[in-house]
Amino acid sequence: MLTLQGENGRGLTTQGAMVDLNNSGIEGTATKPVLDAACMAELRALDPDGKAQLVKRVLATYQASLAKLVGQLQLARAEGAWDQVSRVAHTLKSSSASIGALALSGLCADIERLLRAGDSASALPLLEQFQAEVSRVDDAVGQTLQHLEAAAS
Amino acid sequence: MSLHHGVSLEATDRRPTVLLVDDDEVNLLMTAAALRDRGFDITSTTGGEEALTRLASWTPDVVVLDAIMPGLDGFETCIALRNMPGFDNVPVLMLTGLDDEASINRAYQVGATDFFVKATQWSLLAGRLRYLLRASRTRQELERSKAKLARAQDLARMGSFDWWQEEGRSFVNGLELSEEGLRVFGYGPDDRVNLRDMLRMIAPTDREPLVRLARQILYQVSVIATDVPMTLPDGRFRIIHVEAEPEFDEHGHCCAYTGIVQDVTDRRIAEDRIRHLANYDALTNLPNRRQLIWRAERALEFGRRLGHQVALLLIDLDRFKVINDTLGHAAGDELLMEVAFRLRGCVRHCEQLFEGVIETAGSRSHRTLEAVGRLGGDEFVALLPEVADEADAQRVATRILEALREPVVVAGQDCFATASVGIALFPRDGNTVADLLRNSDVAMYAVKSQGRNDALVYTPRLAGRGREKLALESALHKAIERDELVLYYQPKVDVASGKMVGVEALMRWRRGDLLIQPADFIPVAEETGLIVPMSEWALRQAAKQARIWADAFGFADSIAVNMPNRMFERTDLIEQISAAVRDEGIPHSMIQLEITETGLMKDLQRVIPSLHRLTEIGVQIAVDDFGTGYSSLAYLTSLPIAEVKIDRSFVRDLGVLPQSLAVVTAIIALAKSLDLKVVAEGVENQRQQDVLYGEGCSLMQGFLFSKPLPPEDIQVWMEQVVLPRKAPWIPASSKARTGTDDVVDVGRRS
Repeated sequence: MLTLQGENGRGLTTQGAMVDLNNSGIEGTATKPVLDAACMAELRALDPDGKAQLVKRVLATYQASLAKLVGQLQLARAEGAWDQVSRVAHTLKSSSASIGALALSGLCADIERLLRAGDSASALPLLEQFQAEVSRVDDAVGQTLQHLEAAAS
Repeated sequence: MSLHHGVSLEATDRRPTVLLVDDDEVNLLMTAAALRDRGFDITSTTGGEEALTRLASWTPDVVVLDAIMPGLDGFETCIALRNMPGFDNVPVLMLTGLDDEASINRAYQVGATDFFVKATQWSLLAGRLRYLLRASRTRQELERSKAKLARAQDLARMGSFDWWQEEGRSFVNGLELSEEGLRVFGYGPDDRVNLRDMLRMIAPTDREPLVRLARQILYQVSVIATDVPMTLPDGRFRIIHVEAEPEFDEHGHCCAYTGIVQDVTDRRIAEDRIRHLANYDALTNLPNRRQLIWRAERALEFGRRLGHQVALLLIDLDRFKVINDTLGHAAGDELLMEVAFRLRGCVRHCEQLFEGVIETAGSRSHRTLEAVGRLGGDEFVALLPEVADEADAQRVATRILEALREPVVVAGQDCFATASVGIALFPRDGNTVADLLRNSDVAMYAVKSQGRNDALVYTPRLAGRGREKLALESALHKAIERDELVLYYQPKVDVASGKMVGVEALMRWRRGDLLIQPADFIPVAEETGLIVPMSEWALRQAAKQARIWADAFGFADSIAVNMPNRMFERTDLIEQISAAVRDEGIPHSMIQLEITETGLMKDLQRVIPSLHRLTEIGVQIAVDDFGTGYSSLAYLTSLPIAEVKIDRSFVRDLGVLPQSLAVVTAIIALAKSLDLKVVAEGVENQRQQDVLYGEGCSLMQGFLFSKPLPPEDIQVWMEQVVLPRKAPWIPASSKARTGTDDVVDVGRRS
């Protein structure tokens, strides 16, 4: 975990994370760190000595489910199955929040809310943002995993 | 976040098991890790279907369900889970979104125990789970204790009820029975019962007093505790115990009763049985002494209050002992049962009667006290709770004697179980049951002494004999049955030959450690008539002894048995003696009868025929205490007697008072002239012996020769004293010329 903290050059500062936590999900911006530091800290706290390799397992699980869910979402969107889209957004909302991908989580929440209200038109631009944010999160998760691998070997 | 696991998890060492169901694998991983860290044992599944599969073979302590899931969602999973057997009460926590109010409501509808908003605040989640577990455990314990209570109530055939007042202060409809309570009356758990249904189960005769009692209880706001006989809807008769306490509203008014109903039929049957055993005689099923005394006491209370007379009849069977002894105890019991049956028919015998019942019945209720009871042994009592006069009681007594006149067949034989009945009346003959019993006893013994098989009303004259005598009498009555009487034997010797010529049987009463002398009980026996059976016994006993001695040392003399004059008046005396000697295979001549001179003279004419017949069959008669009767000696010539016995008072004064010698000389001369044997009694020293012998009397009896001895000692005395000729009274030379009973010869020698 020392490695994680030291090697992460993406400015995962403690202060920034604290501020962001409160309004995350409402208005995700590119300037903020992709993965919230406080959330990551919480995650690490669940496995303080790293024996269970929890962080690695969680991130790997997330990455796998992200790929799967994004695929499901694109398929549903192409078919105009907005229910399906909404449900995938719901799932991604909570799992993203869990690993600190707060911007993505916030986007998912907005998409879910709009689609539940039947407002797919308003949701469409958010879905574009969603794609971009997914890429960033995926990268960030991939990098973090690489760091963890490196530290472990 | 650093709350340490295990510390706050109370109660068990075991980690609570949790089934965690969430389609979001990331969340699942994290939640599982967080809860494991806080002391839970986590099993994770990612969907509803998988969860239900796991639950088919395993029951976790708590289930955590994500509400929104693809496939079977949390709600559907919860519904399915609640329908599985054994999952009614497993706590289920539904995880919902923060803003998802619809899910929260739905969670409760589908049977979730609680909801939790998804968040990463793991301590809150863990706290919530612990709370659910604690509540579940408490609930389980409550269920268990409820089940235990229900089971206990079922076993005790008990259930609870509430009875409350409705508006308008009516108690008619406000009745609710617990499931167990309904079961007591044979109802199912869903049946509804009101007070009217209950009342309908009670017999009309019981209903009215009960309603009256209920009114009184409600009026006094007292505790309910009563047994109610009921016929349940299924036809079973049961006794239901109802016990309840009042409840009060905030104004202190009684607003309800809460309590229990219990089927106490079995207990009551057992109690009744115990009460029956305590109050009734096991053999005859008649009231026993305890019950009889209780009834008699109640009867006296009524008599006192209403001013009427009460009669107590003491009934004692005649010669029951003989039947018991000859036919055995089983036959005796059989006889008692038959007698009980007959006696029962002589009064308005009222079978069932228990404490308390009589008080509530009508004014003539003392009539139900009437009964025949068994005091014990062959003693019965008839209690007549109201008689107009003595004649009333006598009529019942006559009925009783009449009923017993017919023979009773026991052990294949006809037995005559006649009785002697003593009657005592309250208040004339006693104010207490004890007094009445004692006085009826007195009257009963008077009947016995007058020849049995009769009834007598008590009179103070009968009781003029005093308390001690009464006690003695009662003990003496039992003495024969208990084999307390014994015979001692005093030898008669012929000093001329130095031989024993016979013995006199003397009665003793072995009462406990005491050996009572005849002077202390024979007068009472005479008075009460007990002397008759005692004499009969002595005859049989003497015959037995003669047989034993004959076999042991060739005894061939006679045993003299003392007979009161009234025995000679009995027509069956001859038969009795004949039976006794026949049973033992000895000649009549081995039994001699002694009658006192006074006894003989009392009613000479009635005694003479017996004396003749006795003499004819070979039973010799001796006149005892001769010389004390001051009667004309002329009658002796006409009497068939064989022997006279000079009274000990004359013998004692020989050589002291000259008159004594004159009397003794006269008696010896008289006897000689009438060809009678003469025996001197109470010879205690050598001088008396010498004088008597000098006057021509060689037959003697007294301490100088031997005191009265138990039968075994007679043989010893024979072998150690007489046969070795080792006593001062035995002449040194054995050249006795006389036969053992040749008195005339003795006289000639002088």
